[in-house]
Amino acid sequence: MNKNISKEYDVIIIGGGATGAGTARDCAMRGLSVLLVERHDFAAGATGRNHGLLHSGARYAVTDHESAAECIKENMILRRIANHCVEENDGLFITLPEDDISFQSQFVDACKTAGIGTEIIDPDFARHIEPSVNPNLIGAVKVPDGSVDPFRLTMSNALDARIHGAVLLTQHEVTGVVKEQNRVTGVELFNHEIKEKVKYYGKIIVNAGGIWGHHIANLAGVSINMFPAKGSLLIFGHRVNKMVLNRCRKPANADILVPGDTICLIGTTSERIPYDQIDNMFVSRKDVDVLIREGVKLSPALAATRILRAYAGVRPLVAADNDPSGRSISRGIVLLDHQERDGLSGFITITGGKLMTYRLMAEEATDLICKKLSVDKQCETAEKSLPGAEKSEHPLSIATEKVYTGANISQKSAKDRHGTLAKNISNGDNYEDSLVCECEGVSIAEVKYAVNELHVNDLIDLRRRTRVGMGTCQGELCACRAAGLLCESSEKSGKAKDDLANFLQERWKGMLPITWGEGINEIQFTSWIYEGIYGLKPDNN
Amino acid sequence: MKFDNIIIGGGLSGLTCGIKLAEQGKKCAIVSSGQSAIHFFSGSFDLLGKMDGQDVKNPLEAIKILPDTHPYQRVGIENISRLVVEAPRLLDRAGLNFFGKADENHFVLTPMGIMKPTWLTIDDFTRFEQNDAFPWKKAVILNFSGFLDFHTLFVQDGLKKYGVDTQIKNFAMKEFEAIRRNPSEMRSTNIAKVFDSGDALDEFAQKVNQLSEGFEVVLLPAVFGLFTKNVALNLKAKVNKPVVLLPAIPPSVPGIRSQILLRKRFEELGGTYFLGDNVEEGTFKNNRLVAVQTNNHGDIKLEADQFVLASGSFYSKGIVATREKLYEPILGLDIDGDTDSEKWLDEKFFNDQPYMHYGVKTDSGFRALKNGKPIENLFVAGSVLGGANALKEGSGAGISLLTSLHVAEQILK
Amino acid sequence: MKKEMFEPFNSSDNNFEQCVKCTICTVYCPVLEVNPDYPGPKQSGPDGERLRLKDQNFYDESLKLCLNCKRCEVACPHGVKIGDIIQLARIKYSKKKPKVRDMILANTDIVGTMASTFAPIVNPIVALKPVRLMMDGVLKIDHHRIFPEYAGMRFETWYRRYAASKQTDFKKHVSYFHGCYVNYNFPKQGKDLIKIMNAAGYGVHLLEKEKCCGVALISNGLIKQATKQARHNVEAFKKSIVDKNMPVISTSSTCIFTIRDEYPHLLGVKNDEIRNESELATRFLFRLIDSGKLKLVFKKDYRKRIAYHTPCHMEKLGWSVYSTALLKMIPGIDFVSLESRCCGIAGTYGFKKENYKTSQGVGKPLFDQIESSDIDFVATDCETCKWQIEMSTTKKVEHPISILAEALDVEATVKLWQK
Repeated sequence: MNKNISKEYDVIIIGGGATGAGTARDCAMRGLSVLLVERHDFAAGATGRNHGLLHSGARYAVTDHESAAECIKENMILRRIANHCVEENDGLFITLPEDDISFQSQFVDACKTAGIGTEIIDPDFARHIEPSVNPNLIGAVKVPDGSVDPFRLTMSNALDARIHGAVLLTQHEVTGVVKEQNRVTGVELFNHEIKEKVKYYGKIIVNAGGIWGHHIANLAGVSINMFPAKGSLLIFGHRVNKMVLNRCRKPANADILVPGDTICLIGTTSERIPYDQIDNMFVSRKDVDVLIREGVKLSPALAATRILRAYAGVRPLVAADNDPSGRSISRGIVLLDHQERDGLSGFITITGGKLMTYRLMAEEATDLICKKLSVDKQCETAEKSLPGAEKSEHPLSIATEKVYTGANISQKSAKDRHGTLAKNISNGDNYEDSLVCECEGVSIAEVKYAVNELHVNDLIDLRRRTRVGMGTCQGELCACRAAGLLCESSEKSGKAKDDLANFLQERWKGMLPITWGEGINEIQFTSWIYEGIYGLKPDNN
Repeated sequence: MKFDNIIIGGGLSGLTCGIKLAEQGKKCAIVSSGQSAIHFFSGSFDLLGKMDGQDVKNPLEAIKILPDTHPYQRVGIENISRLVVEAPRLLDRAGLNFFGKADENHFVLTPMGIMKPTWLTIDDFTRFEQNDAFPWKKAVILNFSGFLDFHTLFVQDGLKKYGVDTQIKNFAMKEFEAIRRNPSEMRSTNIAKVFDSGDALDEFAQKVNQLSEGFEVVLLPAVFGLFTKNVALNLKAKVNKPVVLLPAIPPSVPGIRSQILLRKRFEELGGTYFLGDNVEEGTFKNNRLVAVQTNNHGDIKLEADQFVLASGSFYSKGIVATREKLYEPILGLDIDGDTDSEKWLDEKFFNDQPYMHYGVKTDSGFRALKNGKPIENLFVAGSVLGGANALKEGSGAGISLLTSLHVAEQILK
Repeated sequence: MKKEMFEPFNSSDNNFEQCVKCTICTVYCPVLEVNPDYPGPKQSGPDGERLRLKDQNFYDESLKLCLNCKRCEVACPHGVKIGDIIQLARIKYSKKKPKVRDMILANTDIVGTMASTFAPIVNPIVALKPVRLMMDGVLKIDHHRIFPEYAGMRFETWYRRYAASKQTDFKKHVSYFHGCYVNYNFPKQGKDLIKIMNAAGYGVHLLEKEKCCGVALISNGLIKQATKQARHNVEAFKKSIVDKNMPVISTSSTCIFTIRDEYPHLLGVKNDEIRNESELATRFLFRLIDSGKLKLVFKKDYRKRIAYHTPCHMEKLGWSVYSTALLKMIPGIDFVSLESRCCGIAGTYGFKKENYKTSQGVGKPLFDQIESSDIDFVATDCETCKWQIEMSTTKKVEHPISILAEALDVEATVKLWQK
């Protein structure tokens, strides 16, 4: 069945990553009518598959001055507008005996030029402030690195876009681009939820599909040369380090260890892959070997730390237009006005860049959109806080002064995850405060909030919103509880069983490359519960 | 410390073996590193539930075509036919009443509302004759308000396929307000403790009778009788219509009760159960294991004429996987499993996982192999044996019960 | 097999990561059952530890409701040191200062020294109802509690006056860590031990200067002082074990458990050189008998029906088998085994007003068992369990060593080795 919806949006944004959500927010804040379409879920692509590092820019200071300067600027902005998604941990760039210590001064100079504050510190002091650091270090530089939760960041942007009137559609995959002669006028979508095709129309269509933007451009009849680069990462079971640890040398494989929420992660490897493999990411044993080997050099404790999962993301590298071979790659922000470039109006592409610069990318794209629509409004995304980021009156430390109220863990966790929006999560009710996910402290109330407010279609989406199933047990106890709650709200029990089976498979995929030790004990237990006792099958209907 | 027999592992196979030996007058000890996997017991013991993905009707017949390497084939079909009669009797003597036939599977309802074939079912639970029908047409599914480990909607969905008209009702009772205050502890075992100690059962049964008016059958999570034996039966007597209990997320209430009763039986027969202790190493002499050293007892070694290894699979650390290799962590025995670690796992969670088949190598008499040679007085039983994916074929409990009885017979010969 | 033989790479050394969330620990936690304000061993232990590593504000003062009975550790199939994780979290993160009451309860030796000196005055005063109500109101020590009486003459004093000189008559020697209870409250237990050891052919000596093992200091958060005392004791033990080749035995399961396991795990005080030779007297005797080096002869007319209660720390040590094996050797004993349950006192825990209800609730299943079994008395290796059981049931409690001493035919035993 085809549905044609007559309403014409000012802007249709394709892609629910940080860039798409950020662009939707910026456009909506400037008064445009916005539709955002995403084929799966927010932050399901490259956005959610990186370090979650709040770069200071120091990593690029020596090799890419422009990126470095962008990063530190955005870093400071995110601390302000997204403090509930950010942890201000600081970072160390350490020099190991095998590294050239003379690089340090070059590094510090380059940081200075880019506007990144650095402080050279004594190795002894480095060991003191970051006890997990490789004790053999011979030099350390402190930089304003931090951590950022890409799921929450993207969701906050989407939420703010919605607050400003944007319409958000997940589970809507672009299957065609509607054109009238040399003008793009809309998109044809497949709604995965109800298995239906629909069309939406807009004055400007923004391709913010990341690496998948290559395909979307093709649908529009233009070509962008993208080279997918796979980056693999490992998640460790708990926070080993308090500060971000980097190697003070030219960027290489697996040389960043980022503490984030309850875990820490090491990455990345970098490998060009064929475009047809971008939906088929897997982490090889070789990747795991490299990550552990290099990770242990940053923090030897990693050798004895449980690994929870491995995953890989795809960086969208864009070939410069004058060099289709891909040898000359632009690592910066790429904004393509297809009217100028290809003679196709109503269609722009925003890609390249990195998570850190999503807001800047959105600003540049929105500036171009506004110019095309003759809207004269300034960007305010750098000043206005994202929802949840307002200064909290009740910091976490105050909550702990009370003796156990029975719900402290879930309340503290919710506050940690949703910032001031946690006020929308009911608490104080014995039932609602019950923990669904015991590892990450996710309560019934938080699940309900996510289901009602945060565009949750399935368990995997719920995980991105709340961390259900992201802890040590990877869903062993909580998956079923959460599935039960989701099922209550959707009233589709049959679907919920498949959803549960899919969730277990999705968790399994990440565990596959690292399943040994406690991991294999745990997965056997999980199998006993779901297959043995419950009799769950991959296809229940 | 000297015993006739020492069993490493205090789960279903260790206890079965220990009880059998102690019943024959042997002085036995069991060393168990913590509580066993009986704590996750579903309520039924499977003999052989599935073959090539299909339900097995007659497990005793179907066993005959299993591969030679399968533990059942190694025990021998004749022995199996005899031991399947003995196993429920041994359980019965421990106060555990199981019902079922080895030559005809019955079915139990899982928490997903699916009928699953099985061999023996404990008397708490209901046995069904058919896998495509439910004997009642109107059912009420009851749950304790806020108990997250029982999923009424999944049960309802399952029953819909059998044409059952169901209604879900949640209810609260003041006796559960205390645990309800704790956000993580509304667990089946904690609910069971309330029924164990207080007089909540009468009020509860009344409530069940009220809520089930107009229905033919009541479905409830299995949260009755943790440390006290007859709670489930008492409940059934007090409710004026059939009660069908369904397992909840582990730990399992009937499982823990079973563990306690089996241990009690073993101890009453004079057995010694060392809980929370680990065997750290063995002393071998001329292909015999003469003593084991444990963490708690240190230089006071535990000596025995025969030893049984019933230490379980990966979950129980009977077998350990590191990045590169598999090993048997207690005595360094030979492992039957792929040396190439990339072959341990299948990329689909629900596929037949190769690692599930792995176990300790033995000779034909279930003697453990170490460096290729059998240890004369060290027998292996239960899921540490390997040779089958017990989860896929529904044979875990059967393998545990029957191999351990068989091994006990070898020792008693 | 011992761990060093296989060094698994990336198999966790962070003990809390060995938790696979099987939830078995929650079944066996005696506190959870009676006090829902306690988050339970899984939440307080491995789950909470990950959160605390993320942000120490996730530490919750309710962790002090943990009895430190370690029954969760005994139950854990994966060797997670749940009790240690919880106690370490208290040590690391608690910002609450110990109350005056806690200091009094914790300093068992200082208080004991003062109290035993004035025992004739202290005992009646502490027993007076108004005094107990005052302690309840001001100090928050529950008024139901009966303080153990203080003995007039300390064990150490008695030993020096009446026993020390005879100990050199023996060929074999051990040191005795008597602990505060024997010293201040119940010297008889120490005398019983000397009687048995002497009959077995061993001279018994005191350590150069023993200090309280510190268990109460640890549980009341006085970690600095506990560490100081631990270091002192380890040195004192070394002088006996390493320098004089004399093992150290004790009659208190809690003292010996603290010295062997809590010193290294909670206080970071290394005890490798002394750990193996620091043990309970019952284990020492069992080893001798089991290896054929000793035979005890018992009186023919000793007839008693007794039940053995396994103290939590004995459950954790796995050593109740030694005490019960020795008791079962006495021909006239009719032995009843009790299901192993916590008595609820947990050292000073049950003395605190806020814990009284929990404490008695925890112990109830044990008390019911004891009351319903037709026995002469209860045997147990722990002095605080003794107080609790004597206060909460109609039965008296004896230490296995005292029972052995009572039943032992000293002359016949001595004759066997003197031959």
